[in-house]
Amino acid sequence: MSQRKSSLSRRAFLGRTAALAAVPYIVPASVFGRNGAVPPSERIILGGIGLGGRGTGVMNWMLPEKDVQFVAICDPQRQRRQRIKEIVDSRYGNKDCVMYHDIREFLATRTDIDAVLIATGDRWHALASIYAMRAGKDVYSEKPSAMTIQEGQAVVDTARRYGRVYQSGIQRLSEGNFTFANELLRLGYLGEIHTVRAHIAPWDAAEMRHDWLPEQPLPPKDEVDWDAWLGPCPWRPYNVAYTQGQWRNHYDFHTSCIGEWGAHTFAQCQVALDLWKTSPVEYGYVANDSGDGMVMRFANGIKMVLERDMDQKIWHGSCGVRYEGTKGWVAIADGYPRCEVSNPAWHSDFQKLVEDYVARTQRPMSHVRDLFNCIKSRRQTVANPVMMHRSMSTVHAANISMWLKRDLRYDPVKEEFVNDDEANRFRSRAMREPWTI
Amino acid sequence: MFKSRICVLAMIVVLFAGLVPTWAQTVASKSDEGKLIATLTSPDASRKDKADACRQLSIIGTKAAIAPLASLLGDPEMSHMARYALEPIPDPAVDRAFRDALGKLSGRPLVGVIASLGVRRDAEAIEPLTKMLMDGQAGPLAMAAAVRTLGLIGTVGAAQVLTVSLDHAPPEGMLDVYEGLFRCAERLAAEGNGEEAAAIYARLRQVKEPHQVRAGALRGAILMRRGRERATLIREHLGSDDYVLFAAACQTALDLPAPGITRVLIESLPQLPADNQILVIQTLGKRGDVASLPALFDAARTGPTEVRLAAIKAMPEIGEASVVPVLAGLMADADGRIAQTAKESLASLQGPAVDQVVMTMFESPEMDKRQVALDLMGRRRMTQAVSVLLQAAGGAEGRLRPAIIRMIGELGGPDRLPALLALLDGLESPQDLDAARQAMSVVCAKADDSQAASDMLVDRLGQSKPPQKIVLVRVLSGVGGPTALAAVRRAVDDPDGDVRAAAIRALGTWKTTDAAPELLALAQSADNATEKMLALRSYVGFAARRDLPVEVRLAMCRQAAGLIERNDEKTLLLGTLGGIDSVEALGLIEPYLADSATKQEAVVAALGVADRLLSHRDAGQYAAKLIAPLEKVAQAAPNDNLAERARTLLAQARTKAGQ
Repeated sequence: MSQRKSSLSRRAFLGRTAALAAVPYIVPASVFGRNGAVPPSERIILGGIGLGGRGTGVMNWMLPEKDVQFVAICDPQRQRRQRIKEIVDSRYGNKDCVMYHDIREFLATRTDIDAVLIATGDRWHALASIYAMRAGKDVYSEKPSAMTIQEGQAVVDTARRYGRVYQSGIQRLSEGNFTFANELLRLGYLGEIHTVRAHIAPWDAAEMRHDWLPEQPLPPKDEVDWDAWLGPCPWRPYNVAYTQGQWRNHYDFHTSCIGEWGAHTFAQCQVALDLWKTSPVEYGYVANDSGDGMVMRFANGIKMVLERDMDQKIWHGSCGVRYEGTKGWVAIADGYPRCEVSNPAWHSDFQKLVEDYVARTQRPMSHVRDLFNCIKSRRQTVANPVMMHRSMSTVHAANISMWLKRDLRYDPVKEEFVNDDEANRFRSRAMREPWTI
Repeated sequence: MFKSRICVLAMIVVLFAGLVPTWAQTVASKSDEGKLIATLTSPDASRKDKADACRQLSIIGTKAAIAPLASLLGDPEMSHMARYALEPIPDPAVDRAFRDALGKLSGRPLVGVIASLGVRRDAEAIEPLTKMLMDGQAGPLAMAAAVRTLGLIGTVGAAQVLTVSLDHAPPEGMLDVYEGLFRCAERLAAEGNGEEAAAIYARLRQVKEPHQVRAGALRGAILMRRGRERATLIREHLGSDDYVLFAAACQTALDLPAPGITRVLIESLPQLPADNQILVIQTLGKRGDVASLPALFDAARTGPTEVRLAAIKAMPEIGEASVVPVLAGLMADADGRIAQTAKESLASLQGPAVDQVVMTMFESPEMDKRQVALDLMGRRRMTQAVSVLLQAAGGAEGRLRPAIIRMIGELGGPDRLPALLALLDGLESPQDLDAARQAMSVVCAKADDSQAASDMLVDRLGQSKPPQKIVLVRVLSGVGGPTALAAVRRAVDDPDGDVRAAAIRALGTWKTTDAAPELLALAQSADNATEKMLALRSYVGFAARRDLPVEVRLAMCRQAAGLIERNDEKTLLLGTLGGIDSVEALGLIEPYLADSATKQEAVVAALGVADRLLSHRDAGQYAAKLIAPLEKVAQAAPNDNLAERARTLLAQARTKAGQ
C-alpha cells in the first residue's frame, strides 16, 4: 500500500533561503540530518492520521501556514484517505500526497515527517499520539486526548520521554474572547473566584450505549480495515454506520455528553484557574442522566459545576464557560461577538488584555500556529499533554461518578480514587491486541 | 446561527431521550457476579453476551471470576475481553493466571497477555519473558510486547535483560527495546535507583538513530546528573553540530530553573549560528531569569534581524524594569520590524516603571516620539495619563492635538466631561472640534447617569459660540433624553444658520423616536427651504428604521408624502417604502408609478416589497392583495427586465392566492 515518499520535503523559507538556493528543489529532510527538531528557518513536514470532517477542517487551517508542507495521509478507510489526498494535491498543484492505510507502516517509513495531525475519533487519539511520538513525531491531536486516565498518563509519559511537542485541539485556548475571559480572572477583575461553570453537551447522556449495531458484510480490507478501525477497543461486528460518525455515544468509542464538550470546557476552566496540573478532589453525583448540575471541588475549595443549560439561561452558544468571583463574573461561548460581563467597562480593556497575554506568553491567537511555533522552540504548547490529561481526568472522573451513581473523592497526586476499588478499576481498559502500548 | 444549532441539538435530545433507559447500565450489581460468571461458560451465551459479562466483571469481579475468565484467554474471540475483565481485578491470582497462560498461547492472545502483565507490573513475569526472548520463537509482535512489558515492570533485572536485547534484537524491533529501556530508567529513577537509570541513559546515548531516542537519552542523562555535571552536559550539547541534540539540550533546560543553567545558555550564544541563537534566546525568555537580560539586550541591538526580533520578544516574558529603556531605544531603530516589535513588547510590560517611560516620552519635543507615547498610552490603558493629556491639549499642541483629545475620550471616564467642555471653548480648527465631539461622546457613553451628562452639555450649550454649539448638539443627540431633546429643539431656532442645520441633523440621528414629531413640525412650518428639506429628509430617515413597528413607519411615510415636493425627496421616500414589508406600502408607492420622474424607483420599490412578502412563510395571506398592485407595476415598468420580474411575481401571487 505504501507509495513513494513526497518529492518535496523541507526547504528553507527565511534567511536560509539564499544559502540553499543552489540546493536542488527535491531535498529529503535527512539531507539536513535534522528531522525531529525543526530549526526556526525551515519547513515543518506534516502528515495526517484519520482525517474526517473535523480533521479536514483543522488541516485546512494548517495548510495556509507558510512554513508547513503536508505530504501524506494515513487512514484505514480508502474513501477518506483519497479525499484528503485530493484536497492536498489540489492545494499544492501536484500529485505528491502519499496515502497509507496502516499506521505502523506509515510511522515506520515516513521518517521525513516532523509532525502529524490526528483526528481519528476518540478511540484512537491516545494510541495514535503515543505511536507517533514514539516514532519521533510531534503531534496535534483532536480532543479528547484519551479514553481513560491511564491512556492520558501514557500520552504524558511518551511526550516527556522523547521530548515531543503535543497540542490537543482545545482551540478556544487560542481565541481572543476566551483568552479575555481567562485574563479577567487571572488579573483579579472578578475578585476571589468561588465558582466556575462548564458547559456539557446538551444531547446524549453520561450512560452510553453497550449494544452492537446489526452486523453487515465486512468490506475488503483496502476499503475499510475494520480491525484497524476498532484499534484498541473491544471487537464488535462491522456496521458502516460506525465509520460514518455513529460511533458517538457508544461506551467503547466515546466519552459521553460530559466528554463531548467537557474536554473543551473543563480544560478552559482549569487553565483559567491555573489548576491545569491537578484535578478536582470531589465529585458530587447528581441523580439525572447527564451529570447536569454536578459540583466538582478542587482542593482550594473552588467549585466547578457541570451545566447542560438546556434552556440557555447561562449561554447562547456551544462550549461555554462562566467564571464567578466576589467582584463579578464573565461568561463566554462560541459565537459571541464579545464576552458577557458583570461590568461592561471591562470591555474597554479587551485589546490590552489579549495583546498583553500574547506578548507575555508568546502564544499567538491561532491554535495551529502555537503548535508550529512550539515545534520550533521546543516549548510546551498551550494545550499540552499534562493539561489535557488533567482536564480529561476530570471528565473521566465525572463520568465514573455518574456510572457508579455515587460521590467520589480523588487523589490528584496518586491519581486514584480514595477508598473506592470499583472507581479505580475504571481508570484503565485493557487494550485489544495488537493495538497495545 | 447558534440559536438554530441549539434547536437542532434540542431535537436530537428529544429523539434520543426515549432510548436512553433501554441501554444497558455500565455497572452491574455485585450480586450479579454469579450470573455473569455463568454466562461466560454457558454454551447458549453469544459472543456479545460474554463480552458484556466481561465488561461488567471488570468492575465487580472478584477472585471467583478469575479462573473462568482465565479459561478464555486462549479463545481468539474472547481473549481480549477476558483480559479486559482480569486486568483491573486487584488479586495476585490474576498475575498467576496471566503467567500460566504465557506458555500456552500464541499469536494475538499471547501478545495481549504479555501486555496485561506489563499493566500489572508483575515482576515474576521477568523470568518467563526472558526465556521467551532468548527462545526467539514467539513472533515479532510478542517479542516487541515483551520488551515493552519488561520496561513497565522496571526492575534492575528487567533492565539487564533489555540491555542485552539491545545487541540482539532485529532492526524492526529496536524501537520497542528502546521504549522498554526508557520505561525501565524512568521507573528506576523514580524508585531511587539513580545509578542504574543513569547507566541506561548512557547506553541509549550511544544510539545514533532514530533522533527521538538520542534526544530522549540526552534529556534523561541531563536530568539524572546534578550541579556542575549537569551544566557541563548541557554546555557540551549546546555546542553540538547535531541540531537534534542541541534542541534537546535547550528543551531540557526549560525544566531546570537553576541559575547555573542560565549562565550556560548565555555563554553559548556568541558561538552559535542564527537558528540556534533564536532557540537559545526563546529558551531564556521562557525561563524568565533576569540574569539573562544583558545577553538579550546585546542580542536585540545587533546581529541578524530574526535573532534580534527573538530577543525583543523574549523581554516581556521576563518582564523587568531594566528592559524598558532598551525597548524604548529600539523603538527608534531604522528597521521598521525591530521598532514595531519593540513597541509591542514595551506595550505589554506591566508596572509603573514602564508607564513613567511612556510619560517621559510624551514630553519629548519630537513629534514622532510623542505620537508613539500616545499610542502606548492607549494600548496600555494608562488612565492616569488623562490629566497630562488635558494639559497638552489645552496648550500649544499642533498636529497632534486631535489625537490627544480623542485619547482623552478613550482613557477618560464621565468625570472628565467638565474638563473636555472647558477645553472645547478654546478650540477652533474643525479637526480639533470634531475630536472633542468624539471624546465627549465616548465619555458620555460611559456614564451611568446620562441625565447629569445631559445637564452639563445643555448648560454649556447656552453659553457657547456657534462652532461649539454645533459640537454640543451632536453630542446631545447621542446622549438623548427629554432635557437634551428640548435643548436641541431650542437650537433649531438659533440665530446662526449652521447651528440650526446641525440641530436638525442632530434630531435626525436621535436615539429615540421622540425627535420625530419635532422634525415633522419643522418640515411643516420652517420658513427656510433648506431647513425644511433637511427636516423632511431626517423625518423620512426615521421611517426607514427597521426597529420601529411597521404601522408607525407607514404613518410617518404618509405624513411625509403630504409634504414632499422635490423628486429627490420622492426617491428617498420610495426607498424607505421599498424597505417596509407591508401591502399598505404598495398603496403608498402606487401614485408614483404614474410619474415618469419617479416611475423607475417606484417599480423597484414595489417589486422589492412584493418579492419579500411572497417569500414569507405566510405569503398565502398576502398573495391576493398583491395581484392588483402588481398588475399596475407590470404595466408601469419602464424596461423589459423590470416588467418580466413584475410578471413573474404576479404569477407567483396568483398561484399562492389559488387563482
